[in-house]
Amino acid sequence: MSDSIEDIEIRLLLEALYQKYHYDFRSYAFASIKRRLRQAREQLGFATISSMQAGLLHDPAMLPQLIGFLTVQVSEMFRDPSYFRALREKVAPHLRTYPSLKIWIAGCSSGEELYSLVILLREEGLESRTLFYATDINQDALAKAAAGVYSLDRMQVFTENHRKSGGKSSLSDYYRAAYGGASLDKSLRQRVVFSDHSLVTDAAFAEVQLISCRNVLIYFDRDLQDRALGLFRDSLPRRGFLGLGSKESLRFSRHTDAFAEFVREEKIYQKRDI
Amino acid sequence: MLIASGLALVLIFFIVSGGVAYRNITALRDDNQKIMLSHDVITALDNLLEAAQDAETGQRGYLLTNAERYLAPYYAAKSTIGDRMDEVADLVRDNPKQNTALARLKAHVDAKMAELQQTIDLRRSGNADAALSVVASDRGKAEMDAIRAELASMDLEEAGLRDKRVAEMADSYHSAVLSSVLSALLGIALAARIGYLVRRAAAARQIQEWLQTGQVGLGGKMLGDQTAERLGDAVLSFLARYLGAQAGAVYVGHGDHFQRVSTYGAPADAAIPEQFSRGDGLLGQAAAESRLLLIEDIPDSYLVFGSALGRSKPRHLVIAPARVEGAVNAVVELGFIRPVDDLALKFLELSCEPIAIAVRSANYRSDLQRLLEQTQRQSEELQVQSEELRVNNEELEEQSRALRESQVRLEQQQVELEQNNSQLEAQAQQLEAQRDDLEQANAAIQAKAKEVEQASRYKSDFLANMSHELRTPLNSSLILAKLLADNSHGNLTDEQIKYAKTIQSSGNDLLTLINDILDLSKIEAGHVEIRPQPLSLALLAKAMRQMFQPLAAQKGLIFDVDIAPDCPDTIESDLQRLEQILKNLLSNAFKFTETGTVRLDVARGGEKSIALSVVDTGIGISEEHQRAVFESFRQADGTISRKYGGTGLGLSISRELARLLGGAIRLKSREGEGSTFTLVIPQAYDPLAVQPLAYPQAAAAAPTARRSPEPAQLRKVEDDRDALTNDRRILLVIEDDETFATILRDLSREMGFQPIVAAAAEEALILAKRHMPSAIVLDVGLPDQSGLFVLDRLKRDVSTRHIPIHVVSGSDHAETALSLGAVGYMLKPVNRTDLIDVLKKLENKLSQAMHRVLVVEDDDTQREALGKLLSSHDVETIGVGTAAECLQRLKEQTFDCMVLDLSLPDASGYALLETLSREDAYSFPPVIVYTGRELSADDEQRLRRYSKSIIIKGAKSPERLLDEVTLFLHQVVSALPDERQKMIRQAHNRDAILEGRRILVVEDDVRNVYALTNILEPRGAAIEIARNGREALDRLSRSDPAIDLVLMDVMMPVMDGLTATREIRKAANGRKMPIIALTAKAMPDDQQNCIDAGANDYIAKPLDVEKLLSLVRVWMPR
Repeated sequence: MSDSIEDIEIRLLLEALYQKYHYDFRSYAFASIKRRLRQAREQLGFATISSMQAGLLHDPAMLPQLIGFLTVQVSEMFRDPSYFRALREKVAPHLRTYPSLKIWIAGCSSGEELYSLVILLREEGLESRTLFYATDINQDALAKAAAGVYSLDRMQVFTENHRKSGGKSSLSDYYRAAYGGASLDKSLRQRVVFSDHSLVTDAAFAEVQLISCRNVLIYFDRDLQDRALGLFRDSLPRRGFLGLGSKESLRFSRHTDAFAEFVREEKIYQKRDI
Repeated sequence: MLIASGLALVLIFFIVSGGVAYRNITALRDDNQKIMLSHDVITALDNLLEAAQDAETGQRGYLLTNAERYLAPYYAAKSTIGDRMDEVADLVRDNPKQNTALARLKAHVDAKMAELQQTIDLRRSGNADAALSVVASDRGKAEMDAIRAELASMDLEEAGLRDKRVAEMADSYHSAVLSSVLSALLGIALAARIGYLVRRAAAARQIQEWLQTGQVGLGGKMLGDQTAERLGDAVLSFLARYLGAQAGAVYVGHGDHFQRVSTYGAPADAAIPEQFSRGDGLLGQAAAESRLLLIEDIPDSYLVFGSALGRSKPRHLVIAPARVEGAVNAVVELGFIRPVDDLALKFLELSCEPIAIAVRSANYRSDLQRLLEQTQRQSEELQVQSEELRVNNEELEEQSRALRESQVRLEQQQVELEQNNSQLEAQAQQLEAQRDDLEQANAAIQAKAKEVEQASRYKSDFLANMSHELRTPLNSSLILAKLLADNSHGNLTDEQIKYAKTIQSSGNDLLTLINDILDLSKIEAGHVEIRPQPLSLALLAKAMRQMFQPLAAQKGLIFDVDIAPDCPDTIESDLQRLEQILKNLLSNAFKFTETGTVRLDVARGGEKSIALSVVDTGIGISEEHQRAVFESFRQADGTISRKYGGTGLGLSISRELARLLGGAIRLKSREGEGSTFTLVIPQAYDPLAVQPLAYPQAAAAAPTARRSPEPAQLRKVEDDRDALTNDRRILLVIEDDETFATILRDLSREMGFQPIVAAAAEEALILAKRHMPSAIVLDVGLPDQSGLFVLDRLKRDVSTRHIPIHVVSGSDHAETALSLGAVGYMLKPVNRTDLIDVLKKLENKLSQAMHRVLVVEDDDTQREALGKLLSSHDVETIGVGTAAECLQRLKEQTFDCMVLDLSLPDASGYALLETLSREDAYSFPPVIVYTGRELSADDEQRLRRYSKSIIIKGAKSPERLLDEVTLFLHQVVSALPDERQKMIRQAHNRDAILEGRRILVVEDDVRNVYALTNILEPRGAAIEIARNGREALDRLSRSDPAIDLVLMDVMMPVMDGLTATREIRKAANGRKMPIIALTAKAMPDDQQNCIDAGANDYIAKPLDVEKLLSLVRVWMPR
C-alpha cells in the first residue's frame, strides 16, 4: 500500500503534534483529518503540509490555530430537540432518584450542548444537586464555553430548538443581549467544572450518572472510539446513561455488550450490570 | 421386502407340509378302515359257515333221531343265515369280485338250505328213507363243499386284501414319517435363514440411525448465527467426538484460497498450514476434485495432536471437502489413531453438504456484517462531512468579513513570531547550558552531602560503641582508686592517698566526658526517647535551687530563681531532659562566673511556650564565638578549656535535647558582661513540632508488611489449605483426634468440599478468619479450649457469624451448642452415614438461596408496599418501623441487605447507621438509603460512609430500588468472600507509618473517596475529606488536629487541585505539607503541572493501590 506524499506528510504532522504538544490526533478518522489539514494549509498559507509541520513544531502559537482547524467546533443549543426531549421525559425521572448528580459533557466544544443541559436540568429542578463536567481538548473552545457568549442571530434557532425540546420556560430568561451578542446568565455556570481532558490519552476522572458526547466519536477511528467508550463505561455507574450523536452507534464497538439501548432512536444508552 | 418374501415362503412351506401330513393321516385311516372291513368280512364269512354247519348238524340230528328237538340249531341257522348273507353282502358291497363270489355262495347256500328243507320235510312226512336217499345223493354234501370252497376262496380273497392293505398302511406310515422329518429339517433351515435376514435388517437400521443422529447432532451444532471460526470449532469438536478423531482442522474457502479457521487437538505450536490453494497439496487436491480422501498409515510430519502429557501423530487421515451447489467451500481434515471405517467415511460424505451450507451462510453473514459496518462508517463519514460543511459555511461567512483584517495581522504576527522564535531559541540554548552546569553542581553537592552524612553517622556509631567500651575498664579503675583513697588498711601515706584521690577525680572527669559523648551520639543517632509528662514549674525551680545553692555559696555568688506570675503552673514536657538542659546551662553559668549573680528566670516565651533563661554575669562570649559554642567539642575559646575545664559538649547536648523537646536555645551575650541562655520549649510537648535533625536522615526502609503469624505447627492431618481454589467450598474441621479428623477430611473431600483441619481452638479461630470457610464441623473437646468457646467466638464475630457450624461431641452439650447458634449437634460415636448426613445438612444450608432483606420504614403502608415489591421466591423481607426494632433484629440475625428510610420515630437514620458501624454486636448488612427528602451535600457525604446506594423517592425510584437490592443480593453471593478476605488481609496489614496519621483527601468523586478511605483507613490512618480546594484550604487553616499529608484531586468544582496546591504553598504552615496530586491526565506535561503547582508527587488515575500506598509512605513525614 503506497500512501500519497500528502498522506505521509499528514501522518508525520500528526506524529509531530503528538510528540511535541501531546495532542493525539493519530487515531482520528483519516479522511476528515485530511480535509481539515488541507483547509488549514490553505488558510494558514503553507505550500505543503510538511512546511506547516515545520511551522507547528517551531511555533507553539500555531497550535491553538491548528487545533481549531482539527477540531470541528459546531453546535447549536438544543440541537436535535428530540434528543433533549427524550432526556427530559425518559432520563430525568431516573436521575431524580439520585441524591446528587454528575453529568459529563465530553467534547463540550464551545458550550452550546453544556448550556442546553444545564437549562434542561434547571427546568427539571435538578440543577441544584448536579455538577457538570465540561471537557474538551481545545483550550480556545473551552474558554469560549466558559464565556458563554453567542452571536445574537443564532439565538433564533436556539429558541426554536428549545421550544421543540419541551422547554418549560423561555430561553430568553437565560441570556442577555448586548453588543450584537447574547451573553448567557452567569448563574448557569455556577455548577460547571470546565476542564481540559482528552478522550485519546486521559483516564476516567469521576463517576457520573449521565454522559453526553454528541458528534465527537464520528471523528475517531474504530480503536479510538473503543477507547473513548471504554472511558465512558468506566465512568458510569450501573444504570448510568450515555447519549451519543444521531449518526453514532455502539453497534460495532467492543463495548456493545456493556450498554443497553434506552431510547433507541435518540441514541441514548444505559449501562448494563456487567 | 426380503423378510416379507421369506415369511411368505415359510407360510407356503407350512401349508404344503400340513397338506402332506393330512394326506398321510387320511391314507392311514382309510387303510385302517379297510383292514377292519376285511376283518369283518372274514368274521361274517366264518359266521355264515358256522350257520350253514349248524343247519346241517340240526338236519343230521333230526334225520337220525326224528326228534324235533334236534331241529333247534337248524331253525336258528335258518333264521340267521339270511342276515348273515346280507351282512356279508353289505360288507363286500364295494368289491365286485367278492360280490360275484357271494352270488355264487348264495346260490350254493340256497341250494343247501333247500336240500336240508327237503330232507327234513321228507323225514317229517315219515319218509325217512327218501330223506336219507336225498342225503345219500350227496347233493347236500356237494353244496356244502361248494359253500366251504366259496367261503374259503372269499376268505382267502379278503385275507389277501387285508394283507395288501396292511402293506399299504405300512407304506403310508413310512411316507408320513419321512415327510415330517423332511418338513422339520426344512423348517429349521428356513427359520435360520429368516433370523439371519432379520438381524441383517436391524444392523442396517442401526447404521442408518447412527448416521441420522450424527446428522441431526451436527446440524444442531451448526445452528445459529455463528462466525466461520465458531462454526469450524463446533463442527470439528462434534466430528472429533462423534467419529473418535484425535486431531482435526477446518479450512474455509474464499474463491480458490482456503483459510484455516479452526483446529482440534493440535497444540498451538504445531506446524499446521494457515492456508492453501485449490490443487495445492492433498488438501487442495481434495478441494479441487471435491472427493473424500482417505490416507492410511500416514508418514511422519503430519497433523499433530497433543495434551499436557505429550503429543503424537494420527495414523490415519481423512480429508473431506464440503460442497454445495457444485462448489467446494470448506475442507475438513481429521486425523485418527485407529483405522477409519467405511461408516465414518459415509458419515463424512453425508455431512459435507450441511457443513458446506452452514459455511456458506456464515460467509454470507460475515459479509453482511462487514457491509453493515461499512454502512455505519459511511454514515458517520457523511455526518462528519455535513458537520464540516456546516462549519465551513459558518466560517466562510465570517471569513469573508475578517479575511483582509486577519491577513494583515497574520503577516505581522508571522514576522514577530519569527523574531521571537529566533530569540527564544537562543535563550533556550543558553538556558540549557546553564541548566547543565547547575545540574552538575547539584550532583556534586549531593554527593558531598551524602559523604558528610555518612561520615557523621559513622562517627555517631563509633562514639556510641567506643563510650561503652571505655566505661567498662574505667569503672573498675574508679572503684579501685576509691578503695585505695579510703585507705581502709591504713598503710598508705598521705601523699599516696592524694594520688589515689587524683586518680579517682580524673577518672570521674573522664566518665562525665564519656557520658556526654554518649548522650550526644545517642541524640544524633536518634536513640533518645522523649517521655512527656505534666510537670510543675515551681517544683522544677525548687529542684534547681536545691542543686545549685551549695555551689553558689561555695563560690560566693548570688543565685536567684524567679518565676513570672503569668506562667502556667504546669507544663507538659520530659522532666528528665528538661532538668538535664537546665543543669547544663546552670553549671556552665557557675563555671564561667567569678563574681556577681546567676539567675534562673521562668517566663512566657510566646503564646504557647515557656522560656527558661539562665543569666550570669560571667566572662561572656564574643559575637564571633557565639555560634561555635553550640557545636560539639568547641568552646568559646580554645584556651578556655585549660582554664575552666569541661568537655565543651554540654551545650551541644542541651541544644539537641531542646530540639527534641520541640524547642530551642537562644544565646544573648556580650564579652565581659555575662551571658543569657534562654531555653524556649512548648507548653505542651508536640512530637510533630520537632524539627528534623540538621542533616537529613536517610529514609527508613519501608516496613515490610507484617504477616499474620502462622498458626502453631499443629498440623497433624494434611489438608487442603495450601491448595485452595475458588470453585469448591471450604470446610473447616476442628477436631483434635487424628483418626476422626482424617475420616472427616476424606469424607468432606468426597462430598466436594476443600477441607482444612484444625486441631486446637486458637488455630481454628485463626483459620476461620483467614479462610472464611463455608461451613465448620466442630468438636467440643479440644486440647486448649472448649469447642463451645470457639462456637461462641465465631458467632459473636460479625465476619464469621454467618458460617454454619455443626457440633460433634463425646458428651452432651446439645442445648448449649444449639443456643449458641450451632446448626446441628451430634453425639459421638458416629458412623459414616451420620457424618454424610451432617455434611449434606451443611451443604443444604449453604445452597439455601433465601436472601433476607430488612426494611426499616416507619410508614406502615409504605413498609408493606416495599415488602411486596422486594419479596420474591428467593427473597424474604422483614419490615420494622423503629430504630430500636431494627437494632434488635440485627442483633439476632444477619441480613443480606437493608433498606433504610431516614426518618424514624425513635432515632434518625444517621444515628442508627453510626450505631451500627460503631458497635460490633450488630450485623451490618449493605445499606440502601431510601428517602423522600432531598439531601444536602453534607448529608450525602455523611451517609456515603455507610451506604453505597442512596435513592430519592420518586416516580422511578421503586424500579431503581428493586434493581439495587437485586444487585446487593447477588453480590453477596459472588463478591463478598473476596471482600471479606480483603478485609482480613487489610486488618493484618496495619502500617506502622500510617498508624495514627491524619490524611486529608481532597476529592469530589464519591467513588474515589470511598476507595481511598477503604485503602487507607484499615492501615491505621485517619481520613478527612474535603470536596474541593476551598474546603481543603479551610481545613488546613485549622491545625487541630494537624493534617500529616494531603491527597489532592486535580479536577474539582469551586477550586481545582492545582490552584488549591498553590494556595497551600503560599500559607506559612503549608510549605512543608506533603501533597500528592491525583490526576486523570496522562501526559508528561500535565503531570509536570502538578509538580509546578507545588505538589510533592502525583499519581495517575485509575489509582493503583500499591503505588498509592508507597507514595503515601514515602511522603508521610516521620
